[in-house]
Amino acid sequence: MKRLARLLASLVVLAAMTAWAAAQTVVIAQGTDAVTLDPHDVTDSPTATVVSHMYETLFELQPNGDIVPHLATGYEVSADGTVWTIDLRDDVMFHNGVPMTAEIVKGSFDRFLDPDNAFTFRFLLDRITDVAVTGEHQIQFTLSTPFAPLLAHLTHNTTAVVLPSYVAEQGEAFGEEAIGTGPFEFGSWDRGTRIDLETNDFYWGDVPQIDGVAFLAVPENTTRMALVESGEAHVAVRVPPQDIARLNAADGITVENVSSLRTIYMYFNHTLEPFTDVRVRQAFNHAVNNEEIAEFVLGGAVRPSDAAIAPGIFGYTPVGGYEYDPERARELLAEAGFPDGLETTLYSPTGRYLQDIQITEAIQSQLAEVGIDATIETLEWSAYLDLTRQPAGENEVPVALLGWGTVTGDADYGLYALFHTSQHVPDGSNRAFYSNPEVDALLDEARVNTNPDEREALYAEALEIINADAPWLFLHSETQLVAVNDAVNGLVIHPTERVLAWNVTVD
Amino acid sequence: MLEYTLRRILIALPAIFGVIVVVFAMVRLAPGDPAVLLAGEFADQATIERIRERFGLDRSMPEQFAAFVSNLAQGDLGRSTRTNRLVTEDLAQFFPNTLELAFGAIIVALVIGIPAGVLSAVKRNTWVDALVTFIALLGVSMPVFWFGLLAILFFSVDLGWFPVAGRGTFSHVVLPAITLGVSSTAIIARMTRSSMLEVLDQDYVRTARAKGVLGRTTIIKHALRNALVPVVTIGGLEFGRLMAGAVLTETVFTWPGVGRLLVDSILARDYPVVQGAVLLIAVSFIVVNLLVDLIYGLIDPRIRYD
Repeated sequence: MKRLARLLASLVVLAAMTAWAAAQTVVIAQGTDAVTLDPHDVTDSPTATVVSHMYETLFELQPNGDIVPHLATGYEVSADGTVWTIDLRDDVMFHNGVPMTAEIVKGSFDRFLDPDNAFTFRFLLDRITDVAVTGEHQIQFTLSTPFAPLLAHLTHNTTAVVLPSYVAEQGEAFGEEAIGTGPFEFGSWDRGTRIDLETNDFYWGDVPQIDGVAFLAVPENTTRMALVESGEAHVAVRVPPQDIARLNAADGITVENVSSLRTIYMYFNHTLEPFTDVRVRQAFNHAVNNEEIAEFVLGGAVRPSDAAIAPGIFGYTPVGGYEYDPERARELLAEAGFPDGLETTLYSPTGRYLQDIQITEAIQSQLAEVGIDATIETLEWSAYLDLTRQPAGENEVPVALLGWGTVTGDADYGLYALFHTSQHVPDGSNRAFYSNPEVDALLDEARVNTNPDEREALYAEALEIINADAPWLFLHSETQLVAVNDAVNGLVIHPTERVLAWNVTVD
Repeated sequence: MLEYTLRRILIALPAIFGVIVVVFAMVRLAPGDPAVLLAGEFADQATIERIRERFGLDRSMPEQFAAFVSNLAQGDLGRSTRTNRLVTEDLAQFFPNTLELAFGAIIVALVIGIPAGVLSAVKRNTWVDALVTFIALLGVSMPVFWFGLLAILFFSVDLGWFPVAGRGTFSHVVLPAITLGVSSTAIIARMTRSSMLEVLDQDYVRTARAKGVLGRTTIIKHALRNALVPVVTIGGLEFGRLMAGAVLTETVFTWPGVGRLLVDSILARDYPVVQGAVLLIAVSFIVVNLLVDLIYGLIDPRIRYD
């Protein structure tokens, strides 16, 4: 009897504990509010983070760079590389109880690809000319040309599967609420402040151990950190580098440092003198000590670049970068006809990237040591984007700082738009007007070749040439600094700059 | 009074139209292109063109203006180019938050500012006066940003009395209202002091004193009431200013108000939202000023509206 009582008592305690644990909502403080909950229309990381908890893609890019089937179970590519057959899971259900079928998946891709919808990331899949239903849980993509990066692009959060009937029902209001297939369901959205998601108890995968996730929109850094310090939030993204030591010293908080797929660089405008001369571009690279900048301007929270793309991206090969050698820089400048140095202007955004203007100032002073007299020009972001994408002949920006996040985890996305001749602005994103037929050929070949080993070799060669041509002043790849309460386990800080609470538990 | 109010509203219409024209032109003259911004670093020209078309940005300025005005006449401010939400819905959601914060701040300012000013005037040239003046000076010159962050670190993180940020309960509004109200408090205290000093020197106050009506009654009933007109003017202007949104306070405390909405929209070149928000601010400023003018009549019966 006594034993029974004890057993009952411990059961009560256990039940109470589980109830308490189940009542946990993990609170994540981000820098901005979500812009929309329409997954196809997402263009920024905070929004992608929120949407990724409710909507899912056919394939998933894991933090280690592997691509695994997610809503899909597998795929097959035809011999000529233009027909992709994808098998889908048969146990997936939308939050309103509608089972996912091939018909629905087709509808979702048709919406994403419809030119009238003008989705920013449509170009990821624009080689798909037709989406066909070939079975209850099988679809087929027909491509205009073979396109090797397609699998990587199908992991991008904007390609997530939506429910066409729900889209139609909601009309213009579709992005205000959400019905997806993911581990969390839409709860409520207090604009500019907070979004609450609830656990989807009927999730096809592992049902989350927590009650829900909340996302706070907190633009001010100090306030965002204060939320974690006071215990009101479990997680705060974008820790300012100067706060790392203080937060780590605080009880129960750890600042996680996870590399991102975003590369920071300054490009040289190849249509303007003196940057038509490779020796000048190389001189800049030798004159700037990016390790010192990483250490002292960014608190060691970044990784100095040794290639035009970051590690963790398929196709990355370290090709060395440039050693800090001011003597060599002066020699190169002299050879190029500038024995007394030269004058130029460095364009820089402020507040767009981690410590951006401070980095530019450090570069300015390092350039001064080899006789390069640089003035700094900063512009508000919108004007900055506009000015740097003027066509050749009208573009007067000589050197400018920018960042590029290779969010698909595939080198094609990180190199093609930035270095291929066809991508000169305003048509693409090659703001440097860089052009090298060898690089063009390699990038073209790597696009259509479906053999991963051969693709890797092609990218390695392209990276070597790009490094030697020095179209950029290579700087660093960014790191995500995220303050996390020690009671939280299993949080994924994804290299694509999303914080994922899919499998989180709270002690 | 009704006729006066109607006349004032009629006079305000050209001003509002002027605001519409200026805002419409200014957002479009500023460098930067909403389509380029929406498309981001990644975009190709074709995508940008499609986005331009989607939001009608490919049409000429006069065409866009005509569309804007005719929609406005039907109460339609358009949709945000950034979030695709109806601008009227956005404003309906953010404006009450701004009002809540502005009321909180103006209450703080009046409740502290008027007594402080009265005290300062009555105890003219004593240490009390000096102290109030000093604190007022501090209040005006303290950066809101800095004060707000210190308040968070001390009252929320160290003491845990108030939530760090967000909106919802009464305790959420305390720190932001104080932070936002500090400079208004100082201004109202100074205004009350000088206005009171003037009144205290008037013959009727001296007469009241001579008659033996002394102390608090004189000060409140006779002096303060007459000193209130300029205070109401300043208070009204301050309230109008607070309603225009308090970007810094809203940012520090993550308060979803019109100020932040406006700044975010300007940075995103979200023309419809910028236009809508500025229009709303202009209208509310005009309304507050009208209310202030009407309140004069309540305080001072000599003021008539015919």
